Amino acid sequence: MIAWDPNIELMPEAELKRMQFKLLKILVYRLYSFSNFYHNRMVEHGVHPDDITCLEDVVKLPFMVKSDLRDGYPDKIFTAEPEELVRYHVSSGTTGKPTVVGYTKHDLDMWTESLARALTSCGLGRGDVVQVAYGYGLFTGGLGLHYGAERIGATVVPASVGNTERQLELMQDLRVTAICCTPSYLAHIGETATKMGISIKDDTHLKTAILGAEPWSDQMRERIEEELGIKAYNIYGTSELSGPMFTDCSEQAGFHMWGDIALVEIIDPETGLSVPDGERGEMVVTILQKEALPIVRYRTGDITSIDRTPCECGRTHPRIARLSGRVDDMLIIRGINVFPSQVEHALLGIPEVSGNFMIEVYRVGALDQMLVKVELNPGHSRTKSTTS
Amino acid sequence: MIQASPCLPRWNQLVVRMKYWNKEMETLKGEELHALQAKRLRWTVERAGNVPFYQKMLKEAGVRPEDIQTVDDVQKLPFTRKTDLQGGYPFGFMAVPMKEVVRIHTTSGTTGKPTVVGYTRQDLDNWSELIARNLTMIGLTDEDIFQNAVNYGLFTGGLGFHYGAEKLGMTVIPSATGNTRRQIEMIDDFGVTALHCTPSYAMHIAEVAEQIGTTLPTLKTGIFGAEPWSANMRKVLEEKLGLTSYDSYGMSEMYGPGAAFECPERNGLHIWHDMYLAEIIDPKTEEVLGPGERGELVVTPLMKEAMPLLRYRTGDITMFLEEDCPCGRGMKIARLHGRSDDMLVIRGINVFPSQIEHILRSVPEVGDEFLVYVDRVNHLDEMTIEVEINRNAFRGELEDLTRAQNKVVGALREALNLRTRVKLVEPDSLPRYEGKAKRVIDRRGDEL
Repeated sequence: MIAWDPNIELMPEAELKRMQFKLLKILVYRLYSFSNFYHNRMVEHGVHPDDITCLEDVVKLPFMVKSDLRDGYPDKIFTAEPEELVRYHVSSGTTGKPTVVGYTKHDLDMWTESLARALTSCGLGRGDVVQVAYGYGLFTGGLGLHYGAERIGATVVPASVGNTERQLELMQDLRVTAICCTPSYLAHIGETATKMGISIKDDTHLKTAILGAEPWSDQMRERIEEELGIKAYNIYGTSELSGPMFTDCSEQAGFHMWGDIALVEIIDPETGLSVPDGERGEMVVTILQKEALPIVRYRTGDITSIDRTPCECGRTHPRIARLSGRVDDMLIIRGINVFPSQVEHALLGIPEVSGNFMIEVYRVGALDQMLVKVELNPGHSRTKSTTS
Repeated sequence: MIQASPCLPRWNQLVVRMKYWNKEMETLKGEELHALQAKRLRWTVERAGNVPFYQKMLKEAGVRPEDIQTVDDVQKLPFTRKTDLQGGYPFGFMAVPMKEVVRIHTTSGTTGKPTVVGYTRQDLDNWSELIARNLTMIGLTDEDIFQNAVNYGLFTGGLGFHYGAEKLGMTVIPSATGNTRRQIEMIDDFGVTALHCTPSYAMHIAEVAEQIGTTLPTLKTGIFGAEPWSANMRKVLEEKLGLTSYDSYGMSEMYGPGAAFECPERNGLHIWHDMYLAEIIDPKTEEVLGPGERGELVVTPLMKEAMPLLRYRTGDITMFLEEDCPCGRGMKIARLHGRSDDMLVIRGINVFPSQIEHILRSVPEVGDEFLVYVDRVNHLDEMTIEVEINRNAFRGELEDLTRAQNKVVGALREALNLRTRVKLVEPDSLPRYEGKAKRVIDRRGDEL
């Protein structure tokens, strides 16, 4: 087995826990001393850095939720000096203002390192030609995987999204061996290929797909693997954590969350208390080495379970099962997170419609389609009413 | 510790005015420069020997790497044209094993297939260094907040500037294109100080900002490129956006943008002499021209590993400026306005009429002739193509026409990454040519 960083990835569990504790301790002291936001939170919560005496004491720290990030717009809770920031990414917010994530050079480095380990664990390396078909720009998918694939020395084709026929042409002509995209987009590429008379299995060199940014099932994995003749790996991450960061390893039995990067807890979303390993609950993440926008006990809203038993691949870091749902009402439409409250906010800005609406989500072919039915505002429509 | 005297200008102010990213290379002159260029040229010719096309070309021309002793020996080499690159599609011009290639970009080809360019890790590093030099040259530092409002992905503009700005340590906002209101909101909320986009998109941003009622007070530097823009447009952009603007030049074959850039003098673009050997030739006679004489820019990149090019004909018309630049850097070229071929730049995207023809010929509903109109509507380029229909492909139903029209629009968008307007016209209604066909009518002129 080839690991990107064997020293870390194969580290004995006890040693890994010691390392995590050390990093947690440093993080808590740093935030208590240098971040107004976290200092106040800890004081309100009645916890002092000295109270953290072992790894399990992480539960003494207060949770962080999406609205904390939104209220901090754009950079109120950043803990890096402005000149240390080298990147902003922006994700859709629940209402109006988006969530802004800032990065220092070290933050980008850890993010990239996490992906380099992950992509290596899927069997990718220097000899691969990787087509990155996630959106580039403010969305973290494109640039994240771009940097990760570049670090492992693969040839990166920054195809971005759209123009499916051109994507297929590039896949064939540039002898692409791996693609990164949403599972529904890969299915769409497959359908387009069939229409064009191309067999991905026989007419391309594709052998690996790194799929994520929207929920998909093991059945879908089986279908994709069989129809396209490839191996499909799940990738996880949200922009709050940095971006896409963790993938299945070669065993395809959950994604390893690197212990030196993330401390994971699974809690009961109602009580906020930890659930036993293997039981489902909400994933709560602390990113141990984030400089610009620290993330401590962040409630991801994702439902999953944790598996700390040894993995066949030899990596000692805990595995997280495929996500099985959301705690809140967030929808994922073609890889983009949509909250009904966001739709409401957008509609409220249009005087011609009332606040009453209904969202219907379909899958047309392989792609998601969202239909919003809106009531007209009778006070505003004059003579003609149109629907679209 | 030495205290700064209050009577003297502060040390860091002096530094800001004189700042170089790589002073040694940027200000290299005379014999030393020529020796370095000659050495790197010989190295490039050696590397080119790994490419079958060049192996054959050098053999036919009877040139061996040892024959390159001075810079002027470049004239012993034959030219490389865009159409040559087409013949090597996709990897024919790579001089290194694919394992060494860490990035692929594509750019418009002259026909159906794009031109593929490859980069080694060192190439990406060289390219980022050029961008870092450019940004430093115009006074930007790691304290600046940089909004990169150009296309990311296969187009070199986005990732090129992104990497360079990151190298300099700026805060990069990879905003890409589109959603102009959001772009403006970010400029204001993040305190963006420098903006990179096409000049026409800058004009659009200025207009929408005016509508919203913001003056974008933090913005102080504009970097505009990927399409020609006039001095007049510069004046209007600077007034509307309240910034100082700089012209950027480059093309994917030369890594991407950043090969040449305006310094604070804003009188011509420094073409980075340690990385590119530039010549100006008469595009017809191929005679090499001197400073002050307008002609086609021919470039031999001196440090490209993955894809070396010898005497590449850029198709861009410019000239060397005669006077030394007060900023101390080397050779400058005039701002670029024309082409020696028929390439069009539409909203920053390069389009060859031959490409359009190739696409149209692949649609059975299209007849014999077509005519391209280019206009500027609300500061943005619009391309309208009149296309004769092929009567044999129609049953005479109206919906057939709509379908055919959509098909043509779709095929053009797919291949050019560009939205166009298509008008179907009767067979034989467009002009026929006995000599060279004139299928493009550019009505943009010099208006804004």
